[in-house]
Amino acid sequence: MTAAVTADPAGRDRDGRRRPAVPSWALGIAGLAGLMALAELVPRAGLVRERYLPPFSDMVSALADQAGTDAFWRALLETLRGWAIGLAIAMAAGVVLGIVIGGVPPLRAALTSTIEFLRPIPSVALIPLAVLLYGTQMRSTLLLVVYASFWQVLMQVLYGVQDVDPVARETARSYRFRPLTQVRTVIWPTALPYVMTGFRLGAAVALILEITGELVIGSPGLGRQIAVAQNSNAVPSMYALVIVVGLIGMLVNAAARAVERRALRWHPSVRREVVS
Amino acid sequence: MIKVRAALAAASLLLLAACGGGGGGDASGDGPTTVKVSVIPIVDVAPIYLGNQQGFFTEQGLRLQIETAQGGAAIVPAVVSGQVDFGFSNLTSLILGASKGIPLKVVAPGAGSTGVQRKDFGGVLVKAGSPIRTAKDLAGKRVAVNTLNNINDTTVRASIRAAGGDPKSVKFTELAFPDMLAALDKGNVDAVQVVEPFLATGLKNGARLVASNYVDTAPNLTIAGYFTSQKTVASKPELVKKFTAAMQKSLKYASDHPDAVRKVLGTYTKIDPSVAGSLTLPTYPAQVNAAGLQTLANLAVQDGLVKSAPDLKNLQP
Amino acid sequence: MSVLPVLRRIVLLLAVPVLLVAAWWAATANSTDFFWPPLSDILGTFDDTWFHGRITSDVLPSLARLLAGYSLALLLGVGLGTAIGSARVLRALLEPSLEFFRAIPSPVLVPILMLFAGIGNGMKVLVIVSGCVWPVLLNTVEGVRALDEVLRDTARCYRMRPHSRFVHLVLRGASPQIAAGARQALSIGIILMVISEMFAASNGLGFTIIQFQRSFSVPQMWTGIILLGLIGIALSVVFQTVEARVLSWYTGLRRSQREG
Repeated sequence: MTAAVTADPAGRDRDGRRRPAVPSWALGIAGLAGLMALAELVPRAGLVRERYLPPFSDMVSALADQAGTDAFWRALLETLRGWAIGLAIAMAAGVVLGIVIGGVPPLRAALTSTIEFLRPIPSVALIPLAVLLYGTQMRSTLLLVVYASFWQVLMQVLYGVQDVDPVARETARSYRFRPLTQVRTVIWPTALPYVMTGFRLGAAVALILEITGELVIGSPGLGRQIAVAQNSNAVPSMYALVIVVGLIGMLVNAAARAVERRALRWHPSVRREVVS
Repeated sequence: MIKVRAALAAASLLLLAACGGGGGGDASGDGPTTVKVSVIPIVDVAPIYLGNQQGFFTEQGLRLQIETAQGGAAIVPAVVSGQVDFGFSNLTSLILGASKGIPLKVVAPGAGSTGVQRKDFGGVLVKAGSPIRTAKDLAGKRVAVNTLNNINDTTVRASIRAAGGDPKSVKFTELAFPDMLAALDKGNVDAVQVVEPFLATGLKNGARLVASNYVDTAPNLTIAGYFTSQKTVASKPELVKKFTAAMQKSLKYASDHPDAVRKVLGTYTKIDPSVAGSLTLPTYPAQVNAAGLQTLANLAVQDGLVKSAPDLKNLQP
Repeated sequence: MSVLPVLRRIVLLLAVPVLLVAAWWAATANSTDFFWPPLSDILGTFDDTWFHGRITSDVLPSLARLLAGYSLALLLGVGLGTAIGSARVLRALLEPSLEFFRAIPSPVLVPILMLFAGIGNGMKVLVIVSGCVWPVLLNTVEGVRALDEVLRDTARCYRMRPHSRFVHLVLRGASPQIAAGARQALSIGIILMVISEMFAASNGLGFTIIQFQRSFSVPQMWTGIILLGLIGIALSVVFQTVEARVLSWYTGLRRSQREG
């Protein structure tokens, strides 16, 4: 797991800095253990009523109960499926449109105002619209997911394209690289770290909107299970499901980081010198 | 062992999902007609689940597909746009919709007040040591309701009026049912209007009931109903007739078998079985109480929810 | 000479929005669908809906909460981000826990926040902070991590004091990344402003839109969505002005490279 350290883009470890004795995964686990202890102690110490925020152990036992039911696994799958489809659509659209819009300055200038108008419209305000189009099916939540995560990806890609080294760009242009070649050799390498950040942010936002949509609209998934638990006053079950959502988020991020590391392994640090 | 089986089930579901794609296509033909109903997963809708279990919908040649939504705000558009055939909503929401010109029609009652003071499925709770004794004392206090400008604040105002208080000075705050008891405990609000299972839970934890707001509003008030759009009424009269018939039978069955109702709660909610055994069930009336509906419409006008009451004849079954 | 570029800018700025609005107008002109009222109806109710008291009673309180939450998130995100970005141990210790909280959707977090912060403005500001802080934090961490080693070492050699090292080296070096995060946080902030008003609210822009939606006042609801979009644009313009000023050295550097 020390890969996280060696793959540090700045390559700090290679500079012979002393490597601490405790590996980062152990520290991460220690941090989580501290969080769990806190979640156990705060209700036990009477800082909040156990009835409203049960101790961590209660949540875990409720989670164990949940894990034995088919409904839980079905909901989990539905959530993951909605999230994955939504994110894939948002990524594809965000990257393609981002490169096209960012790479063609007049287009960018013409579309900026429209993007700035559409982007801040809260996806939650679109709920009535989504319901109108797709009822309470998975697709209405999908609409929210795509809408919210698309902007995250697009904005990062736009920033990334903007960050392309002007000299490299001019060089490519003066050598009359074809547009696709320019994208592949100049824009893409610079934009990639931003695309990866966009992917990571988008993945998190997509998950949040997937759950929110399920919760508010009632489309199938873990969010709906949370809503049902809330409406049934099943507090430990509710928190158990919240923990599952958090865990999925952690896994998603870990996966995104792994993809990022792979994708950026070859990445030259040229850009960083330009930035600073 | 159970976990392994669950995981297997999950895996097979994934396969199904992968193969099914969009899924849910209506296999129309000579078989049963698929009817989609959108409901909120609360105690009130137990009869439709029970009736489905008992086969009352199959008897009518209907294949029931229940979808759950989180509130009327999502259900009404889904019904109007034809995404679902029928929906479940409280009657004040439907009065609001009708007054804005949305063509809605109630086809069956859903749930009603028990009509018994202090023994209803909804009521106003205060903290154990609160100086509030009756609905009259709520004047000037902070009261939480689950949605503002809807059935619960208008009926709480009716309670206060009935007790001789001034309903105008009440400060209503919107709070979801699940968050109310905690807010009451913390003193964030002075009173909360809750329904089951939160009423029973609150009482068990020492809160005190000061008003049965649905009972104070009108005798045997019908709270909610199943509705559809006028378009569906006109274009699929047979479907509406069959659904209503199956619903009537389900309501009757639920009325006669409260234990079965308590049991079916476990299939679509996560209410603790011990609470499910002791909570106060709403009534499942055979018809919408017309006088009560008129009272709700009058209250909506009086409290400024709508400018003028809609023609209830179009709304009623 | 100077009129033409300005004109060109204005045309560029307005061409697409005007086309889209025209398309919307044409598409809904004869609409009888209850949920898709004609655009003319929507615009007709705009004045009545918002300019007779709602600006001060709903819009301003919302914006004040947004500003408070956003500023807090910026402070917290940059502060924590710098600390986490510079200290490997801290990063390793906190990262999984932070990831956990980041993945929890705000609507789910609200009941927990209510337990600690009550149901007043404080809770709503906290909800905004809870969502806005992540893009700022993440980007600050990345920005600080990516600081040029040479610059770092130079600063160390010249024995810059920690305070000036922080301001001149760390903050400045990471500022393009922080700006990217801050910009995303702004749009997330607007979303959370609406979400926070779905709970325990009695005023606010989001609250009003949801009330319209529930009472089936569809044209009014649409005006609310439009107003949210307009506020989003206004805030974005303000943001760009501030960003241009703060990052002028960076854009200047970029331009000089372009010209050189």
